Amino acid sequence: MTDVAANASPLLSLRGIGKNYGPVVAVRDVDLDIHTGEVVAICGDNGAGKSSLIKVMSGAEEPTSGTMQMRGKDVHFASPHDALEHGVATIYQDLALAPRLSIAQNVFMGSELTRPFVLPFLRLLDKAKMIEESRRYLSKLSVAIQDMTRPVERLSGGQRQAVAISRALRWNADIIIMDEPTAALGVKETALVLDLIRTLKAGGHTVILISHNMRDVVALADRVVIMGAGRKFVDRPIDGLTADDLTHLIMSGNARAA
Amino acid sequence: MSVTTVQSPQNRRAILSEIVGHYGTAIAGLVLIAFFVTFAPNFATPVNIVNVIKDTSFLAILAIGFTLAFTVAELDLSIAEMASLAAVVAGWLVQSQYPPLAAVAAALAVGAALGAINGYGVTRLRVPSLIMTLGTAAVAKGLAFMITQGVAFVGRWPVGFTGLARGTTFGLPNLVLWLAGVSLFAYGLVKWTRTGAHMVATGEADEAARLAGIATARMKRIGMLLSGVCAGITAVLLAANLSSAAPNMAGDYLLYAIAAVLLGMTMFEPGKPNIGGTLFAAIVLKVLGNGLVLMGAPYYVQDIVLGIIIIGSVAFSASAMKKAAFKV
Ligand SMILES: Nc1ncnc2c1ncn2[C@@H]1O[C@H](COP(=O)(O)OP(=O)(O)O)[C@@H](O)[C@H]1O
Ligand SMILES: [Mg+2]
Repeated sequence: MTDVAANASPLLSLRGIGKNYGPVVAVRDVDLDIHTGEVVAICGDNGAGKSSLIKVMSGAEEPTSGTMQMRGKDVHFASPHDALEHGVATIYQDLALAPRLSIAQNVFMGSELTRPFVLPFLRLLDKAKMIEESRRYLSKLSVAIQDMTRPVERLSGGQRQAVAISRALRWNADIIIMDEPTAALGVKETALVLDLIRTLKAGGHTVILISHNMRDVVALADRVVIMGAGRKFVDRPIDGLTADDLTHLIMSGNARAA
Repeated sequence: MSVTTVQSPQNRRAILSEIVGHYGTAIAGLVLIAFFVTFAPNFATPVNIVNVIKDTSFLAILAIGFTLAFTVAELDLSIAEMASLAAVVAGWLVQSQYPPLAAVAAALAVGAALGAINGYGVTRLRVPSLIMTLGTAAVAKGLAFMITQGVAFVGRWPVGFTGLARGTTFGLPNLVLWLAGVSLFAYGLVKWTRTGAHMVATGEADEAARLAGIATARMKRIGMLLSGVCAGITAVLLAANLSSAAPNMAGDYLLYAIAAVLLGMTMFEPGKPNIGGTLFAAIVLKVLGNGLVLMGAPYYVQDIVLGIIIIGSVAFSASAMKKAAFKV
């Protein structure tokens, strides 16, 4: 993995990224390279700046300083929409789904499949196609739900993650960013989400994952980035690291930062 | 699995509760209509039925506007005053011998302009729609009184204008055709078009819709604009039907329209504003109002009943929503 990382030009690279909220310095001077097909875990204590860092990558917040490149070209994300157009999709902690709308409506929210209509400014929805495609995305993730018209509020937490991931797939995202995807889930549901992430990786997607669960990180990630007080202080392949090693790294970082 | 469990009592109960949840109030409405048809004196006469249908058309078109604004999660409390102002402007033009088409265009323009102002206030100035539309309503009311100086425009108006509401086409009352046209447009927009899907997503989950790249502010402006346009259409039909325009002529429809939308939200798609529900609820409410009058109930009973329906509908929808949220 390290050899590949050294040779290929990164899919996404951050240089000197800083993010302030008024007087609060949430992220300082972070360099980070993300390579195609990697699963990168970002760890750190509460308030370490993880969410702020991925908000910059996902276009939800603009950085106070620093630059970003995708495939070697400078990019600037002024909105989540910009990031999506560049192939970076984010699955937020609260999932950003509309609970009372159907699975298909959620998967295709904002990017509905349509047919032209006599009035050129109105486009007709192609509902049958959206239902069929949603089912295809979900079965790609090995989630077997038959009824694509079921409201999302009637799904389990893990199934909702699958719907949110399906939307990212729908956007054809190269990079899928997930903020604590298993935080609110039980054991079975967590296993489902870990499988979803493995499926994404096997499908060649790049995943950036924030997690507090070191066992998940060890089980899934190729590389771990540890943050403390806004800085990145560990960035290394996971090989051989145990969950306990990670916990120690985070704590020693905190000690150093304090 | 589903094949074997369909017969189980739990499942039958679930299906029953699904039916009650979706159609309970609609069925109650049908029973109510049947009751008045049978027992209210003179209810089932042709003249009365035509009157009820006409009155339903005004109400339903206005309420469909409210429904579209509510679809993007905004309240439009200015519908009645917008309609009154638009009616006064149309009446003024007709009275001054302008061609009917000009009067119609002006009424629609007034509705559209006020709807656009509401949308602008809500999305750009960030005034909550409750406040914004109350303000617009007050301004519209004042303007209507200013134009008429407090009296009504009445006269022998050309058939080209009055026929819009009183005439028939292919044997069907024009009012009913207007209602059918507006209903079909609104239903089709919400259910079949991308714009409609974006409006629904905006109303259901503003932030999720924005993160999914939907222009939520624009959707809110569209919903409020269309509400204004519906008020403009209602205005034309009200003025044409009565051959007159007064500054408070649509005032009584506000409470009725709100009741129609909220009662409509208890049926077909529980908890969600929906065009079919609004339409059916408008019919039920007008039948109820008319039937009460025919059975000799004093006029104030209508207001009391409307108030109870408004509160009851919201309570019913809220419990339907709760049930849906916890049922897995
Ligand atoms: N919108 C905001 N406004 C002000 N301060 C913020 C905001 N978001 C985060 N912060 C602050 O920035 C720091 C980093 O937060 P965050 O990125 O959420 O960390 P993490 O996700 O690692 O817990 C914290 O001190 C937090 O209080
Ligand atoms: Mg966080």
